[in-house]
Amino acid sequence: MSKTWVVMKTMLKMQYSKAGKSNSQIWLYVIAGLFFVPLLFFYIGIINNLVEALYNVLQPLGQDSLILGLLFLGIHMLLFLISFITVLSAFYFAEDIESFIPFPLHSYQVLLGKAANPFLYLYLTASAVFLPAFFFYGAISGANILYYLYGIIMFVLLPIIPFTIAAILLMLVMRFVNIAKNKDRSKVIAGIFSLAFIILINVLVRLNTNSGDLINNLAVFVQEKDGLLRMITSYYPPAFFSTMGLTEASSFSGFLFLLAVIVISAAAFFLFIWLGQLLYLKGVLGIGAGNKRKSSQKKIKKQIAARPVWLSYMLKELRIIFRTPTFFMQCVVQSLFGPVFLLIILMLDSGDLTGFMNMFSKKESMLILFIATSVLVGSNAASISSISREGKSWPANLFLPLDPKQIFFSKIAAAWSLNLIVIALVLAICVFLFQLPMDMILIWLILILITSWLSSILGTYLDLLQPKLNWTDEQEVFKTRFIGLIALIIQVGIFGVLVLILWNIDAIQGLYTSSFVLFIVIVIATFVMSKLLSKKIKQNEHQHI
Amino acid sequence: MIEIKNVSKNFPGKNKAINELNLTIPDGKIVGFLGPNGAGKSTTIKMMTGILPIDKGSITLNGYNIEKNALEAKKIFGYVPDQPDMFLRLKGIEYLNFIGDIFEIPKEIRQERIETLTKQFNIYNALDDYIQTYSHGMRQKIIVTGVLIHDPDIWILDEPLTGLDPKSAYMLKEMMREHADKGNTVFFSSHGLEVVEQLCDEVAIINKGELIFHGNKQEIREQFQSDQSLEELFLELTSDE
Repeated sequence: MSKTWVVMKTMLKMQYSKAGKSNSQIWLYVIAGLFFVPLLFFYIGIINNLVEALYNVLQPLGQDSLILGLLFLGIHMLLFLISFITVLSAFYFAEDIESFIPFPLHSYQVLLGKAANPFLYLYLTASAVFLPAFFFYGAISGANILYYLYGIIMFVLLPIIPFTIAAILLMLVMRFVNIAKNKDRSKVIAGIFSLAFIILINVLVRLNTNSGDLINNLAVFVQEKDGLLRMITSYYPPAFFSTMGLTEASSFSGFLFLLAVIVISAAAFFLFIWLGQLLYLKGVLGIGAGNKRKSSQKKIKKQIAARPVWLSYMLKELRIIFRTPTFFMQCVVQSLFGPVFLLIILMLDSGDLTGFMNMFSKKESMLILFIATSVLVGSNAASISSISREGKSWPANLFLPLDPKQIFFSKIAAAWSLNLIVIALVLAICVFLFQLPMDMILIWLILILITSWLSSILGTYLDLLQPKLNWTDEQEVFKTRFIGLIALIIQVGIFGVLVLILWNIDAIQGLYTSSFVLFIVIVIATFVMSKLLSKKIKQNEHQHI
Repeated sequence: MIEIKNVSKNFPGKNKAINELNLTIPDGKIVGFLGPNGAGKSTTIKMMTGILPIDKGSITLNGYNIEKNALEAKKIFGYVPDQPDMFLRLKGIEYLNFIGDIFEIPKEIRQERIETLTKQFNIYNALDDYIQTYSHGMRQKIIVTGVLIHDPDIWILDEPLTGLDPKSAYMLKEMMREHADKGNTVFFSSHGLEVVEQLCDEVAIINKGELIFHGNKQEIREQFQSDQSLEELFLELTSDE
C-alpha cells in the first residue's frame, strides 16, 4: 500500500508542479477569486431557497425524502459525467504512464495513482454541489447528529460508485479499441465514442419518460410515504440507500441503509481494482506508438509543395491539434459537444423548432443567437492554448526566421478556423431547424465571424501573459489553469452587458440598428485587442517566456 | 563570422550565467565550444540564436545583430538544438516542408535536397512517418536535414553528434569540414573531447559563465607548455581549485 501512496503522491506532484510558474501568476487566481466570491454567495442563497421551498411543499405530503433523492441522483449523474472525461484523460490520454510502466508496480497501483487526480476533481465537485444542499436540508428538517455523521461518511464514499462505473466502461472500451494499429486515432475514436455514449444515455432516458405514464405513476407514488423517492431511484439503488440512510438516520434502519451504501461502495472499489488489474495495462500499452511503413518515393514527392509561410504555419498548428488526442478532444470535440448535446435535447423535447424564435422580436432573436454563439466560440480551448501547446517546440519559433507577428497571426487564424466548425453547426441549426430569415442569418454570420476572431486574439493574448510550456503531458496545458474561464468571463461579461443594454433600450429598435451597434462594438473591441497583442509582441514578451 | 561582445546574462535568483563574454568565431573555421555541465554553453548558444534575450552586450552574425536585425540574422544561420524533440506530431516530410516554406526554398531545389540528404542519412524511407515514432538519432538527423536544406552560411550546432550512428556522425563531420572549407562558419558545442580534437580548428572553453580559453590546439599547448591530451588540459582548466 505504501508504494501505491508513493505513486499517488508523485502523480499529483507532477500534475500540480509549480515548475515554470511565476509569482505573477497569482494575480490570475486573484481575479478568478474576485469573480468567484459574489457568485458563491449567490449560489449558496439559491440552493438554500430551493431546498426550503421544496421542503415546504413536500414535507406535508410525506415526500420530503425526494429532495435528498434528487440530490443523490443528480450528484451521482454529475460525478459520472466528470469521471468519464477525467478518467479518459488521466488513464488513457496522459502519456506520463510510460514513465511508470517500467517500474515493478502492479497495474492496480498505477491505476490508483492515476485515479488520484480525477478523485480530487470529484471531491471538489461533490463539495460544491452536495454539501450546501445537504447542510440546508439538515438544518430545515431539524436533523440530529447522526444525520450529519452519516452524511459525512456518505460524502467520502460519494465519488466511488460513479467513478467505478465510468472507469469500468472506459477500460472495456479501451481494451477493445486499443488493439487498432494507430494508437492516436484509436484514442480519439474512443473519446468521441464515449461522449456519444453520454448523449445516447440521455436520449434513451428522455425517450423512456413518457409524460402520460409519468402523471399516472405520480398519482400512485404520492399516496405512500417516500413514494416519489422510490419512483425516481427505482433504477439506481445507491441513490435510494443513501437517501434512506440519511432520512432514517435516527433509527436503526438508517444505520442498515448506511451499511448498504458502505458495502456497495467497497464492492465497487474492489471491482474497479480487480478489473483494472485485468484490463488496464493491456489497454494502455503501446499508447504513443505509431505505425511504421515504408514511404514511397512518389508519395513523398507529392507532399513536397511550397506554400506561403502563414499558411504553412497555420497548417502545422491544425495538424498538431488534430493529431494530438488531448488537443483534439479539448479544442475540437469538446467545443462541439455543447451544441450537439443542446441540439439533441431541443429536438427531443420540442420536436419541431420552426417558429421557436417567433416568440421573440427580430432584434431579440438576434441578441439571443449572438450571445449564445459567442459563449460557444469563446469557450473554445484552441486560442487559450495557442502558445502553451508548443511545449518544448516553442524555442523553434524564436530561432527560425519568423516574424513574431506572423506567428501570432497564424495561431489566431488556426483557432478561428476551428471555430468555423461550431459556427457551421449553428448555421445549420438556424437554417434548417429554426428556419430563420436570410437577412438575420447573414448579419449573425458576419457578427459571429468577427467575434470569433476577437475571442481568438483574446485567448492567445491571455495565453501569452502566462503560458505553460514546461509540461510533460499535454493535459497540463488545460488542467489547473483558469485561463479558459477568465477568457470566457471577459468576453461573455462584456457582450452580456452589451446585449442586456441593447435588449432593454427602447431607443434602439429593429434588427438592423441593434446589429449595427453590436458590429461597431465588436470591431472596436477587436481593434483594441489587436493593439494590446501587438504591444506585447513589440516588447519581445514572447522571448521572455 | 560570429561576434560576441561583452555579453552578460542573469537568471533571477542565480549567479551570473554569463559574465562579460567576448568571443569571435571567424569564417572558414570549425570552432568547438567546450565546458562542464552548467558552464553556460547552452545559454550562450541560446542568446546567439535569439531564443534568450541578451541582458548586456551584443551578438552579431555576419554583421547582423541578433536582437536588432533578428529576421535577417536568423535567415543566415542554421541551428541544431541539443534536444531534437520538436514537432513530434508532424511527419518527417511535413517538418522539412515547413522549414522549406519558412526559408522560402523553391520546390525543385527543396525536392532535390530533401532526397539527397535524407538518403545520405538513411531516413528517406521514414519520411512519411510521424517524428514521434523516430529514435533519438533519427530525430537528430531530421533536424540536421532541416538545417542543411536551406544551406545557411553559419552553422550553430548544440551537441550535434549525440545519438548519431557512426556512419551518420562521420558524414556530418565531413559536411562540417566541407562547409568550413568553403569559407563558412561552423560553431558547435560538444562533450566529446576527441571529436573536438580531431575536427576543430579552434577551441573555446567556458567555465562558470566566463571564457577561460580561446585559441587553436597549438596555442593551447603553448600556453600551458605541455603535451597533455585535450582531455587532461580541459580537466585542468575547468577544475575548481
